Amino acid sequence: MNDITLMLRLPGNSTELLAGVYGELRRLAAARMAQESAGQTLQATALVHEAWLQLVAEGDRTWENRAHFFGAASHAMRRILVDAARRKSRLKRGADCERVELAEVEIATAAPDDSVILINEALERLERDDPEQARIVVMKFFGGMTNEEVAASLGISERTVYRQWVCAKARLYRWVRQQESND
Amino acid sequence: MPAAKQLEDSLFFAALHVTDPEQRRLFLDQACLDDPALRESVEQMLATHEDADRLIDRGRDAIALAAAEIRDFAGAVDLREQPDQQIGKRIGRYTILESLGEGGCGSVYLAEQREPVIRLVALKVIKLGMDTRRVIARFNAERQALAMMDHPNIARVLDAGATETGRPYFVLELVRGIRITEFCDTNRYDLRQRLELFIQICHAIQHAHQKGIIHRDIKPSNVLVAMHDGVPVPKVIDFGIAKAIEGRPADETLHTLNEQLLGTPAYMSPEQAQPGRLDVDTRSDVYSLGILLYELLTGRTPFDALELSKIGLDETRRILREREPQRPSALLAGLNAEALKAVAEERRTEPARLLSQVKGDLDWIVVKSLQKERARRYDTANGLAMDVRRFLHNEPILARPPGRLYLLRKLIRRQAGLFVAGTLVLLALTGGLAASTRLYFKAKRAEIRQSELREVAERSLANEGRMRKEAESREKIAEVVILLRQGDYEGAAKTLGSMENRPRQPSLDGSMVLRSVGEWLVLQERWQEASKCFLWLLEMNQLDSWGQVTLDIQACGVVLVENRDAALYRQFCKEAIAAHTSSTNGSGVIRVLKSCLLLPPDPELTALLEPLGKTSEAWYAKLPAHQRTEWGLIPLSLWHYRKGDYARVIELARPLAGSSAGPDALVPTVQAILAMALWHQGETDKARVTVARVRDAIDRHFAIPMRVGDRSRGFWYDWLFARILMREAALLTGEES
Repeated sequence: MNDITLMLRLPGNSTELLAGVYGELRRLAAARMAQESAGQTLQATALVHEAWLQLVAEGDRTWENRAHFFGAASHAMRRILVDAARRKSRLKRGADCERVELAEVEIATAAPDDSVILINEALERLERDDPEQARIVVMKFFGGMTNEEVAASLGISERTVYRQWVCAKARLYRWVRQQESND
Repeated sequence: MPAAKQLEDSLFFAALHVTDPEQRRLFLDQACLDDPALRESVEQMLATHEDADRLIDRGRDAIALAAAEIRDFAGAVDLREQPDQQIGKRIGRYTILESLGEGGCGSVYLAEQREPVIRLVALKVIKLGMDTRRVIARFNAERQALAMMDHPNIARVLDAGATETGRPYFVLELVRGIRITEFCDTNRYDLRQRLELFIQICHAIQHAHQKGIIHRDIKPSNVLVAMHDGVPVPKVIDFGIAKAIEGRPADETLHTLNEQLLGTPAYMSPEQAQPGRLDVDTRSDVYSLGILLYELLTGRTPFDALELSKIGLDETRRILREREPQRPSALLAGLNAEALKAVAEERRTEPARLLSQVKGDLDWIVVKSLQKERARRYDTANGLAMDVRRFLHNEPILARPPGRLYLLRKLIRRQAGLFVAGTLVLLALTGGLAASTRLYFKAKRAEIRQSELREVAERSLANEGRMRKEAESREKIAEVVILLRQGDYEGAAKTLGSMENRPRQPSLDGSMVLRSVGEWLVLQERWQEASKCFLWLLEMNQLDSWGQVTLDIQACGVVLVENRDAALYRQFCKEAIAAHTSSTNGSGVIRVLKSCLLLPPDPELTALLEPLGKTSEAWYAKLPAHQRTEWGLIPLSLWHYRKGDYARVIELARPLAGSSAGPDALVPTVQAILAMALWHQGETDKARVTVARVRDAIDRHFAIPMRVGDRSRGFWYDWLFARILMREAALLTGEES
């Protein structure tokens, strides 16, 4: 049994699990890209699927483990994707700024990468106000998880996931807008 | 979480589901009466939620494109370990998602099918070195027979084909389970539980045999078990595959040089191990079942798998042909104390007790299954199952040796009537098998020099009528799917109604079709047709271990009551109760409970419902406070109401007593129950006022026609549920419109 499998079995160990998953996802993404011709895109879920296969022994691939794993992987994906979006956004602007200046970004015409950054900023605020709702956003948006998977991972009903997700989207957008007008 | 945010969220979500602008305005007027800031927030969210979707979509595009960025900064990573090259590839209509494991004859993947239905399947790619064309031809020859298998404990084989590199592949129904031996050990199943599972497997194999299919490779890794609603469901996988990939090498002269043993020697019958392997029949499967039983009892196979894999082919054959296996109890007795204790613990018992349980009848059953001479085995898988069943019922088994058999006969004579009945059942069960076995042998004679297709052709001829019916009903379902896609609900309902042979095989298509057409019929208030749809759906659910059973029960319950068929409704209740009486899944049980309380239950039903009521109460008591005023409240208060505990109902429903109805039916339903309880407690005025409010909310809901699949105002059956209770409350309080 490998380390990740052990971690999956020990609840409350998510920091280490996250670190493990994060490393593995980056490794996989790089290996994957080395093989594939340019222009092909890599779906977030495909990446997580691969990490799942790589990290977890066959016998431990139960549905519960999987949901837990995908939950942890979503957080790792968030870091990877936000980093990537920031990097690209920075490159485009040629500026050396750490954060995207929100004032520069028009939501209506925001580039895809800027959307990720904007959503992430608003998500940070949501994390303070309503951590559970924020977790659902991370899983669905960054982890590409279905309502069913999120429900299984958090031990709540699919109906709740759906409801929270609908509310979170509207709220995040509202905050993005507010921030835009404040800046 | 700030309460303000929670309130905003709830109002936004509720208002979102009031699609009519005027209605929505009214709703917000009511809800945000004295809080303009709240109203502004909610309206802002409502006005921009579509823009929010666009923002999220754009973000998702970025995520899909993120690979390039990741490459940019991934830096020095180890590229030596390549992930499985198959992941993400397409094979035929299927996209490989992940590897599920490596078997002896190939790799198994989780794959996604998109056409004609979206579903996950298991894809088995056979190792190189097989004659692909012949494998596929052999599979196609069995295809129709395989398609006729229809059993809850058999995983379906859906398709076969060749990959680009020329490897044959099979597409199988996806089974999420673990091998039976592992399942029993990790769950510490005792002998009785193991034997119950084993009987189900025998029945599955018997079903296949009656359709003329022999499995040929029964072993733990082909029998997977998954828990469903707290019930273990075994599934036999890989039917038809052993047959397809075995067979004679292309060039007969190379026969003896090229031959290899396909399958797993430890589970293989002596005749299967013999050169040529032509002479295999259903009793070979009985032998393998015997080995499986052996392993379930003792944790070991009679001939050690490792040992067999080390010795040569000839030696393996000799052992299988000549060496008598130890009796299970003898094997257990020969283990050292520690090993025996471990085996006993996995079976939740003590060593001495395990030995005495296995010794005797179970020994005999295993020995009879493992006879070298197949004429001395059980004739059928069913015969084996019946003997195991007899053991469980403490009845004399048939496998006993002659001395015992004599006593047994005497016993049978004492109960002559029973025996005749038993024989008739046996004849009825084996009749189908005898016919297909006869055909099998008839065909086999022709097969010596001719194509195997011939065999299937003959069998097909014999089964033509039955097969045509089966095929017709599947076609009809496909037709209905197309009609539904075109939005032609009337046509879909008509086609369904005209079907003479209902396929009971659970399928994504079948369940989807019944749910959609059923819902449409409900919206047309065509109750009788709707109740047919939902009863059929429930029938299908019985065989489907993964269906949304309790939701369908809810739908069916209200439709039967609306159809005013009290007898049928009562029957439905009894069956639903029986199926869930020992379930520990609280959220499922409450749905069954409330569906059975739609009409006042008679004393018999009330007694039957008692265990469900207990489970529900325990479940409800564990809910976090805020969830106690949600959907769980309905079954609980209705249960107390039906039992006459009115004070309790009033106490339970108090938090919602003054609430106004949201987009879904929760508040009106609770208030309807509350009104009836109030009336019984003598608070007649309050009761009447409440009923009037409920009626108002329900009328407002039904004033706007619902569309099929529209969940924005809650589930249709929740609203019908509310309306049925409202009628009862109105009758009771005299508050009729």
